[in-house]
Amino acid sequence: MASTYSILLDTRFCTGCNTCFYKCVQENRLHDTAAEGHYRTLVLIKDDGLYHRRCMHCKEPSCEAVCPTAALSKTDYGPVLYDAERCIGCKTCVAACPFHVPQWDETRHQVVKCTMCAHRLQDVAGGKTIPACVEVCPTGALIFGEYDELVAMAKQIASENKLHIYGLEENGGTHLIILAKEKPEVIGYPAVPRDTVRSREIKSVSGVVAGAAAVAALAYAGIKKYSERRIQVQNFNRSEE
Amino acid sequence: MSVSPPLRNLQPTRPFGEHPQEKPKYIIKKKVPQVCARACECDCAYNVVVGVDRITGLERALTIEGRPEDPVSRGKYCIKALGFVDSLYDPDRLLVTLKRTNPKRGLDQDPGFVVVKSNDALKEIIEKLKKYKREEILFNSPGDPYTNRLCRSLGVTRSDQRTECFGTHYYLNSLMVTNPPNKYYSSTYTVTHSLWGYDYSKTKYMLWFGFDSFSKLAKAGILNHIVEGKRNGTKIVVFNPVKTPIADSIASEWYPIKPGTDLAVTLAMINIFLNEKLYKVEFLKNYSDAYALIDIETKLHVVDEKGKWLSWCGTHNKPEPINSCDNPTLEGGSFSFESNGRTIEAKTVFQLLKESVKDYTPDWAAKISEVPAEEIARIAREFAQAAPMVCIPNLKRDAAGPNYANSWRLMHTINIMHALTGSFDHEGGVLFLNGVKIPWLEDVDPPAKPYPPQPKEPVDYRNEFPVSNDIYQNKDYSAPGHYGMVGYGLYNTDKIKVVFFRSPHRGLHALIQPQMVEAALMKMDLVIDWNLYPDDTIYWCDYVLPAPHQYEESKFDIRQYYPKWPCYVGGSPVQQPPGDVIGWGKIAKEIGLALAPEYWTTDGSQDRTKAIKGDMYTPALKAVGINDMNDFMTNKNGIWIDKKPYENYKTIKEIGYGRPEGRIRLYIDEFANVGHDPLPKWSPRWTSSEGEYKFSLLVTRAPWHMHADPNFINNPVLNMLTRKNFIDCIWIHPDAGKELGLQEGAEVVIETNPKYMTDVPRPVKAKVHLSKRVARKDCVLLFHGMGHRSKLLRNGVYGYRDGDLIPQKNPKIVKQHDPTGMGWVEDVYVRIKKA
Repeated sequence: MASTYSILLDTRFCTGCNTCFYKCVQENRLHDTAAEGHYRTLVLIKDDGLYHRRCMHCKEPSCEAVCPTAALSKTDYGPVLYDAERCIGCKTCVAACPFHVPQWDETRHQVVKCTMCAHRLQDVAGGKTIPACVEVCPTGALIFGEYDELVAMAKQIASENKLHIYGLEENGGTHLIILAKEKPEVIGYPAVPRDTVRSREIKSVSGVVAGAAAVAALAYAGIKKYSERRIQVQNFNRSEE
Repeated sequence: MSVSPPLRNLQPTRPFGEHPQEKPKYIIKKKVPQVCARACECDCAYNVVVGVDRITGLERALTIEGRPEDPVSRGKYCIKALGFVDSLYDPDRLLVTLKRTNPKRGLDQDPGFVVVKSNDALKEIIEKLKKYKREEILFNSPGDPYTNRLCRSLGVTRSDQRTECFGTHYYLNSLMVTNPPNKYYSSTYTVTHSLWGYDYSKTKYMLWFGFDSFSKLAKAGILNHIVEGKRNGTKIVVFNPVKTPIADSIASEWYPIKPGTDLAVTLAMINIFLNEKLYKVEFLKNYSDAYALIDIETKLHVVDEKGKWLSWCGTHNKPEPINSCDNPTLEGGSFSFESNGRTIEAKTVFQLLKESVKDYTPDWAAKISEVPAEEIARIAREFAQAAPMVCIPNLKRDAAGPNYANSWRLMHTINIMHALTGSFDHEGGVLFLNGVKIPWLEDVDPPAKPYPPQPKEPVDYRNEFPVSNDIYQNKDYSAPGHYGMVGYGLYNTDKIKVVFFRSPHRGLHALIQPQMVEAALMKMDLVIDWNLYPDDTIYWCDYVLPAPHQYEESKFDIRQYYPKWPCYVGGSPVQQPPGDVIGWGKIAKEIGLALAPEYWTTDGSQDRTKAIKGDMYTPALKAVGINDMNDFMTNKNGIWIDKKPYENYKTIKEIGYGRPEGRIRLYIDEFANVGHDPLPKWSPRWTSSEGEYKFSLLVTRAPWHMHADPNFINNPVLNMLTRKNFIDCIWIHPDAGKELGLQEGAEVVIETNPKYMTDVPRPVKAKVHLSKRVARKDCVLLFHGMGHRSKLLRNGVYGYRDGDLIPQKNPKIVKQHDPTGMGWVEDVYVRIKKA
């Protein structure tokens, strides 16, 4: 894929109807997971605005950086994807995400987080395959497109309407960009520094050492668990089928 | 034990499409056009996507896909539509008929249900119905074509819950514009008792009096238009004690008005319009009764021998027919003249309106409503300046609905504001349905002889309300019933011995103070329910008949929520009804043919082979060049639209009072006849804050719920969403919580002021959510729809029931305040105490 995709959320037009939430559940057949409290996207009606809790699809994802088995990977076209068969269930990603997004589904032993409907993005050029949440939004509050174009659009809208932008700099920048009247942190979005896990490691030699040591430790500790995990996932998938 | 290499699964990056999350979870097999007829009245048209779920391998309805060609939804739909897809497979759906074996009713009793064949049950029910007089039977049902035919042919009372949603609007609209509506509006799948929609995407200025309830947050059919308008610069001013997410940003301005005082604001705005001459003279002259004369003594319109209104001619100084007078006088007077040997003193409607609102200044309104006077005045001026591209939308449970004892007055003022600004039947304002007509059963299969009379003293006390009863008895039998009093009648009289609930997934939950109805049902001989789910109602029922899911039915509908263009849409069944499900049309026909066959055959005979066909769709389709539903669905994909330009003020002439030169009526003679105000005056709500009973009850519902429908309430995915957003809690302002010593999540008991709920009170227990979205310390926000107790709904029993706190009304009290006799659903003050 030549393009890098992104989602722009203009909360001025979001009503909190959560049609995006349920569409995501149906699109990805997540009914049982959602019934137990895990979701890929959900809108929380907060006192000062609407908080969309969903993967920000960081440019340099912390989850990917800390994952000892490369179960999480940043694609070259935007989304951060998760491979349950590679996951050892260490939940390091859950702890590492500065946006508090990945959720651990104890029943299915999987991480739950948005994929930007990667399975739909094969024919974006055709104009029809956009993420399910974007397709369904009754007010057009969610916009899908090329990252650079959406960034330019976000900056223009923010400038014209005195809005706050969330996602341009947080954790080094993300592929979900949010426009809000209120300061996002007031609404409920986490305050996230610019630095990513990777950039912090590069800045600090000791950090590199510490990071490498941590990854190594996790890798060694997880080897046995990893093998078990594959069998566990395979068995679970068979039972689902 | 073999040990695999530890990094055996760390493969290089895959080509696109190979990652597990790049693979779709289902394969689409077909897309079935449908119209969303039960989630709300937007009636969005869309496709139900059917395919194979790769996890389960089952073929089923999976999701929804939009239909951009539908002028209402424009390719959008809401969370409720998605919920309907999954509820097709709700394991708790009622698929067989249940018959009680334990005669003891009540929630604490096991009904001892046994399964019987639906057809056999229906025969048993018919035999039992034969034993009762028509005055002893109540159908608790909306006025759909088949129920109307059934109740009229049997001569039994029909009363329903539609009052809650549409009643106030309906009756005021009938009295001011449509008189009667039946000839013009259609027997659509969901009759909303309205003839118009709002041009949200083109309007320049909107005033919302509680219109932005939480339930509106998911009405995709109007939201997509509202947002287009907003993007194009529409100004939206919201008055609501609750700060909804729409008030956060889509609204331009928001005022936390004191509940039940919206009327003061509209009266003050009319005062500004009139005093500053901010009205459309030409509209008033040509399309309203503003120039019509009112006899000061009789308080009625002065009419000529043909019944036409008269105006005062400024040239000839005498009354002349309003349509032919070349120089009618707008204000001044009184005017004196002789008619039929009597001296009449008369003033124009406009003059009387001016006198009626002269004391209602913005300062006066500010003291009552707590909206600043200067803002009221400024907004009124801005609104008038943007006219006629302005509107004040009101559809259901907004402040002009049946919420307060003064809501009918508020609705009256809103219609007057639309008339003064010339926004009725105008692009950018109030769009009138035009160019479509789905006939009624009475139109296609007229009864062979007049129907028997209705009971003289119906259990819902309609007869005590001559204004609305006249419409119901003589003009529109589908008119809303008095649900705010039917429970009172069932409980306090012994008139009724048989109750037939006909309304899937509503039943008891649709009634305010259901505990009063439950108590009344204990003494009934026979209770029947036709339902999609085994909800609370069945614990009082002798028979429960299974209803089909909305996606198991064909649909044919107009586009009432955005009627800019004449348009029909249709839907096909996604699947055949499973089990022993029985349709309402069949139930009605079988009962009708057994008990009143002369009204159910084409020739008035008792010959079942001549049973009426009831084809209401073909005539509508033929009128636009389509053969029938098969042709419509097969060759037109279920949509017909004529995108002709909207003709401003054309439909008023066709449907208004005095048609074919129809006009809007500002002055309502019928109210004068029963001692109520023919032009709006200020009146406070029925209840007032007293002592600990100081919290004004506000009721809304989650965007993902529809009424108390188990299609959504029994859905575990939506229940998770409900909990995450504290919808299962009562909401109060944090400062109110502090004063009561309540922390977030505290258990409380909410109790209605016993002065206003004298019989069968049922306080409600709930958890508290402290939220600034309840903008006033004197309010409590409750969410409607929860509180099911049926043990047969495995996911549906949670939360509280708001209806328990809302009293059924004594008709003697209601009559004093409200000639329409509506529900006053939020005219309630409650006490909140720690549990």
